[in-house]
Order: sequence, then structure tokens, then C-alpha cells
Amino acid sequence: MQNSMVESDRTGSKVLVEMIRATASAVEANRDTINALNVFPVPDGDTGTNMMLTLRSVVDDIGDDSSGTIGDIAKKMARAALLGARGNSGLILAQFFKGLSESLGTSDGEPLLRGTSFARSLRIAATNSYKAIPNPVEGTMLTVYRECADVAEASAAQNGSFENVLAAVAASSLETVRRTPQLLPVLAEAEVVDSGGFGFAVMLDGALRSLHGNEPAGRVVEVPMPGGTKFSGTVKADFVDASEEIDWGYCTVFAIQSESIDLDKLRAHMDQLGRSPIVDGTDGIAKVHVHMEDPGKALSAGLGYGQISNIEIVNMDEQTAGWAAARRNSAGRRRVPTLAAPKIAVVAVAAGDGLTDLIISAGLGATSVVEGGDTMNPSVADLLAAVNAAPSNKVILLPNNKNVVAAAQQVPDLTGKDVRVVPTRSVQTGVAALLAFSMDLSLDENAEAMNDVAGEVGEGRVCRASRDVTIYGREIKAGMAFATFDDVIVTVGRDPLFVLVKLIEECSDGAEIVTVYTGESLSPEQVKTTTETLEDKFADIEIEVVHGGQPHYDYLIAVE
Amino acid sequence: MSIAVVTDSTSDLPADLVEKHGISVIPLNVHIEDETFLDGVTISSDEMYRRLPDAKVIPTTSAPSVGAFVELYEKLAKTHDEIISVHISSKLSLTHNSAVNAVAEMSSTTTPIAVVDTQQASMALGWTAVRVAEAISDGASLDDSVALAKKLSERAVFIGMVDTLKYLVRGGRIGKAQGFVGSLLRVKPILTIREGEAHPLERARNRSKGIARIKSLVAEYAPLEKLAVLYTTDEDDAREIANDIAEFDPDGSPAVAQLGPVVGNYLGPGMLGLGLIRAEPS
Repeated sequence: MQNSMVESDRTGSKVLVEMIRATASAVEANRDTINALNVFPVPDGDTGTNMMLTLRSVVDDIGDDSSGTIGDIAKKMARAALLGARGNSGLILAQFFKGLSESLGTSDGEPLLRGTSFARSLRIAATNSYKAIPNPVEGTMLTVYRECADVAEASAAQNGSFENVLAAVAASSLETVRRTPQLLPVLAEAEVVDSGGFGFAVMLDGALRSLHGNEPAGRVVEVPMPGGTKFSGTVKADFVDASEEIDWGYCTVFAIQSESIDLDKLRAHMDQLGRSPIVDGTDGIAKVHVHMEDPGKALSAGLGYGQISNIEIVNMDEQTAGWAAARRNSAGRRRVPTLAAPKIAVVAVAAGDGLTDLIISAGLGATSVVEGGDTMNPSVADLLAAVNAAPSNKVILLPNNKNVVAAAQQVPDLTGKDVRVVPTRSVQTGVAALLAFSMDLSLDENAEAMNDVAGEVGEGRVCRASRDVTIYGREIKAGMAFATFDDVIVTVGRDPLFVLVKLIEECSDGAEIVTVYTGESLSPEQVKTTTETLEDKFADIEIEVVHGGQPHYDYLIAVE
Repeated sequence: MSIAVVTDSTSDLPADLVEKHGISVIPLNVHIEDETFLDGVTISSDEMYRRLPDAKVIPTTSAPSVGAFVELYEKLAKTHDEIISVHISSKLSLTHNSAVNAVAEMSSTTTPIAVVDTQQASMALGWTAVRVAEAISDGASLDDSVALAKKLSERAVFIGMVDTLKYLVRGGRIGKAQGFVGSLLRVKPILTIREGEAHPLERARNRSKGIARIKSLVAEYAPLEKLAVLYTTDEDDAREIANDIAEFDPDGSPAVAQLGPVVGNYLGPGMLGLGLIRAEPS
């Protein structure tokens, strides 16, 4: 009886909640490293952010409430994790909570975490994760889950307590992570280990420290590199920060009030001062958004046009999840359809003003846009909300990003609406697919027609590396532009436009039309030069250059 | 006993078919700035399309007057016992209305005149007139002919790929194709006529994909009784399409027809399409 009390104190509901809170702070402490380990160049450096946001939604949902059985709590956590899941890593992480929920929820009012039930939950997580991913790849979080389940089962079989099993799993997970480059060559080339797997090992470390009462539970964990080497890309290598923020300093937003404002002049002025200016206005008010090294300069310039107000300055080097979430949820981010009651509605994910407008224009007035993309994967909850708000009970969902596909595929089971997911892997493919959308077709016929188009589109992208990387056997120096086509590196060069030309040369064999979407980083002059250069170089292919306004990528292309 | 077949100039019937089947074609009016022309009589299609993009004042069209119909019907009544008059969709033009009013004006006439709203335009209408004329020469009665015309309007198909929707918009004939308006990409809308008005069918990413789609649509509609390839300005492209889809024409040689100024005013230069009649399901 006495033993049981001690055990209860140590592994009951309260401890479970504390441990999960510790996993969140552990991932937060290692977020930048986890992001930096994410090897797909520039855009995908968000595993740590996605895992952190996913865990945070679990922690926020539970709050301080540790009432109820561990089974009740695990169930709540599983739902919160799924709704809050961001990106592929978030969804695989949600499987961990689902495993806990299924394992603990069936132990019939069982008050304590046991070694055996924890082992069972890891096995369920591993099995379900392999099923949840269309093409499971070894050397990822999946491998880490599976080997953790193996170790946990072995440890539990030796009459291991929960604490012993957790300790065994926490130690072995780091060793599994260390071996991931042997299983996934792209990791070896980039001299990293799997980011999501490392993230999970970090979580286990935090949970164990919390169980032991160590403070702080979330500490910086050294990346287990093969051969005991040190991981070179620490905080500075965070892809997101490097590409989006360090260059751009402060995101500066303010309003100018005046009787008459020459918007063109103001826009040109801001373009001169900073990067990515967006200037718009009506009725004596202009709104300015510009990325500045020194925000004061933009404000001073603004004073020359009128009275300034509603000033908002965000240090993008200190991007936090709160900022990101606020940005995602801010008014006007989600664009809604204009057609009152379409037979079928479309929900599509996109980033960039131009691409958002394009999708709405191509969507027959029945399409709403959820903002998101490579570095800000919308959560299952974001997609679910948009689907539920769509003006029809029949909805086509276009994830438009390979890392959003898995999240999108959760939505049909969570809504009462009839939803078909067309697994578009990029926004340019999504636009092409959307052109096949027709009110004359049934939901299934539309999904099939859009799928067919999506399968025929070749997708390419041009961006700049934010740090030295080796991808698919190609060394790319920081600052160099490179092009990928259907996920293979095609060419590398100094000048993004030169790289674009090479990309089109290599990938347009037999193509009739190439659509080029210009990114937000390009000035109007650069867009003009792009159009002229392409018209000059490619007389035989129809090339349409349109404003995409997407972040990160200088150019996105669709080859049809 | 003989029955006269009347249609209007929006049928786009080539002269040889008009002559062969003895069809009377009443012209609509085209108004360009201060001038009024008779469709296909005092203005050629080529002339119209040449003027269209630069027209300072948007050209408009109008139905034949009631008087014009009365005049034609009275003339035909002298040589025929009955008249069947098949026309462009009443949702696209007041032509049908004029014809009906003309018949009312002629209440003292003993010649039976039947007016049919085909809910179609261009060669989808033109072929209906031809099939009715063929049936009449095979001995069909006026009632048979009216029944046939109504049945045919369900099997008649108009397909048009346009370069731009701007002419349809400015002419106020956009109908349900509204949803295609505003695409920021240079897509080629493919339209049809459904329930008498313009209806969006599909969007082709560019012209050559649109041409390929027009050809594959023919295969989807086959087997066919009648087939014509339509164009406003690009006869060579139309002939090439006709050549490529010749196997689907019962005679192995699809007609090639230029859209007249009236319908052409709304579809604009560069349009390519089809006017066909599907075979009766067996």
C-alpha cells in the first residue's frame, strides 16, 4: 500500500501533465537546432517550430488541469495534438499522443503510468505513423519511434518500472538518431541527423528530467552526430531566420493619414529604403509594410507624407511562435469566397499576395485561401476551420505543399462535411489543378480531374541557400541561388535569373507552357528584366510571368 | 405540299449548305457607330472582326424587325404551303420574339407558320435547320418537323474556345460563364450553350491545349450526325482541326464555318469551336 502511494505520486495524472509540459519546454530550448537540422534547403527549416507549436497547443489545451485519469488526460492531449499539429513532424508527433491515448485509455481507470502501457503506446505510435505516411522513409522520426518501441518492450519485459522504461528509451533514442544518416543518405550528405527524430529524443530527455525533478526540465541537448563529431550548424543555421529575418531586420508596419498621398511615390520611396515594401491605401490613409534594417528611417520618411499612426515593429530575428501565430490569425489573412452558395467550395493553402489572388481568381468565386507555406505550415485546426467555414457542404481541399498534405488528409475525418483532398505538392501545381475545377462536375469528378492535372504538372523552384549545404551530392554555398525540379537539384549559380533560365532550359522538353511566379523579394525592375529575358531566350515555349509574391522563392515555376 | 425552312443569320450556315437545302436566312442587324449593316449581307465577317478590337464604340446587334419577318414569310407563303422558322436562343437574341410577333401580325394569313426556339446558336442552330430541311425532303409533315427541331435542340452542341471573355462581358451575354471572368492567368475559356445561354465548360491553359481539348471533346460527343468546325478569324487553324477530326463526321469531311458578326461580336477574334449534332441514342 505504501509502495503504491509513492508510485501514484510519481506517475499519476499530475506527473503526466508535468512531463508533457517538460517536453514542450525541451523542444523550445532546442528549437533552433532542430530547425537547422532540417536539411531541405531554405524553406523547410521549421521542424522545431512545428513540433514546438504542436506541443504548445497540447499544453495550452490541458492548462493546469490534471484532474481525471491518465486515460482521460491522454485523450484530451491526443485531440489537442491533432488539431494543433503543424507540418509533417507535428502530425507524426500527434501519433505519439494518439498512442498514449489508446494505450492509457484502455487500461480501465488505471491511475498510473506503467512501463508496459508506455511501451504499448510507443508501439501504437510507431505502427500508426508508418500507416499515416504515404511513403515511409527510414532514418526519420518513424525509425526513432519504432526502435523506441522495441527498447521499451524489452525493458518492460524485464519487469521495468515506467521510470526505468522511460530512461532506457530516452538513452536509446539518441543512439537511433545518431544512426539516421546511415539510413537516409541525404542526411549524410548534409552532415546532419534527422531533425524530427532528434526532436523526439529531446522530448524524452525533458520528460525524464521532469520525472527526476531536475530543473530546468528543458535543457539544450547535444546533437548526437555520427562518429562523435560536433554538429556545425548551431543557432545561426536556422533556415527560417537566416533566409527570412537576419537579412531583413525589422518588419515595420504603420499607417499614414493625409488629405492626398501619392501611393506610387510612397511605394518607390519605401522600395529604396527597405525590402519587400507593400504600400496600399484609400481615402486619405496609406498602409505601409516594409522590412528595414533601421525601422526609424521608414517612420521618418513616412512623416514626410502625413501623420503616422498604428505603428507595429516586429524584430524578425526574434521570431517567436506567438508572433507567428498572431500573424497567421490576424484579420484578413484568410480570404473567403465571393460566390454566395456554390455547389462545391474549394479551400486552398497559399502564401504571397499574388498567388492568393490567382487562386481566388481561378477558383470560380468559390475558393477560400488559408495562408501558409513552407515555413508556416497551417495546422489541422486551421484547415478544419476553413473547411467548416466554406460556403458549401462539399469541399475540395488543396494543401499546395508536400508538408501540408498529411495535415490535410486528417480533415475529412474531423468534419461533418464531404471533403476530398487533392494532394497538391506545391502552390503552382495547385493553381494548375484549380483550373480544372468545374461546377458542372460532381465532387468526385472534380477531385479526379484536378488530380489528373496535378499529376501532369512539373514543378520547379529557385531560391537562395541561407547557409552552406550539400544536397543530393551538390555543394551549395551560402548565398548561391539554386533550382530544384520535382525535388531534384537542377542547377546552381550566382544569379537567380540565370538559374531560372537554366532550369527552364533543362525542364521544358516537350512542354507547351511554363508559368513563372515571381517572389516577393523581386523588385518591379527585376520582374521586368525577368519577363524580357525569358521572352528573348525562349521563343518556342509559351512563357507566362505572373506576380506570385511568395516568400523565400525568387521564382516558382509550373511546366505543363 | 411544300414546307419552307427559315433560320436566321446567327446559324452561320455556309452558303453551299443554304443553297443545297433551300433554306431562307433572315439577317440580323449589326450597328457599328452610326452605321447599320445586315449580318452577312452588307458586312462581311472578316470586315467585322477587323474592326472589332479597335472599335471606339462597342458594336451592337439587333434582331430582324417584325416587318422583316412579315415580308419574308409573305414572300415564302406564295411558293410554299407551310413554314417552319428555327431560331437562335431567345435568351441570346430577340430574333425569336420578332418571329413570333410577325406570325401574330399575320393572323389573316392561312399559311401555317411554326416558330421554334432552338436554345442554340451558330452551327448548332444551323445543323438543326439543315436536318429539318432533310426531313422535309424525306416527307416529314410540319408537326414532324417541329417535333424534330425540338428534339434536335437537345442533341445540338455548341463549343467555343475564346481568346478572351471581354467581348462576352461587354456585350452583356456572359451568362453563367461569369465564374471564368477575372482569371489572372492567360487561360483560354471553353464555353458551351446550355439552357439557351453561355455556360462555362472548361479552361485550357493555353491555345494549343485548348485545340487539343476541342478535338478530344468531339470524340466524347461521337457518334455524330453533323459536325462543323467554327472560327471567327483563324480559318487555317479551323481547317487543320477539321482535318484531324474528319473521322468523326458521317461524311468524313466536317464543314468549316465562320461565325457571323452577331455571335462573333460576343466571342471575338481568335475563337475556335464546334457546332455539332449528336446521333440519336440507339
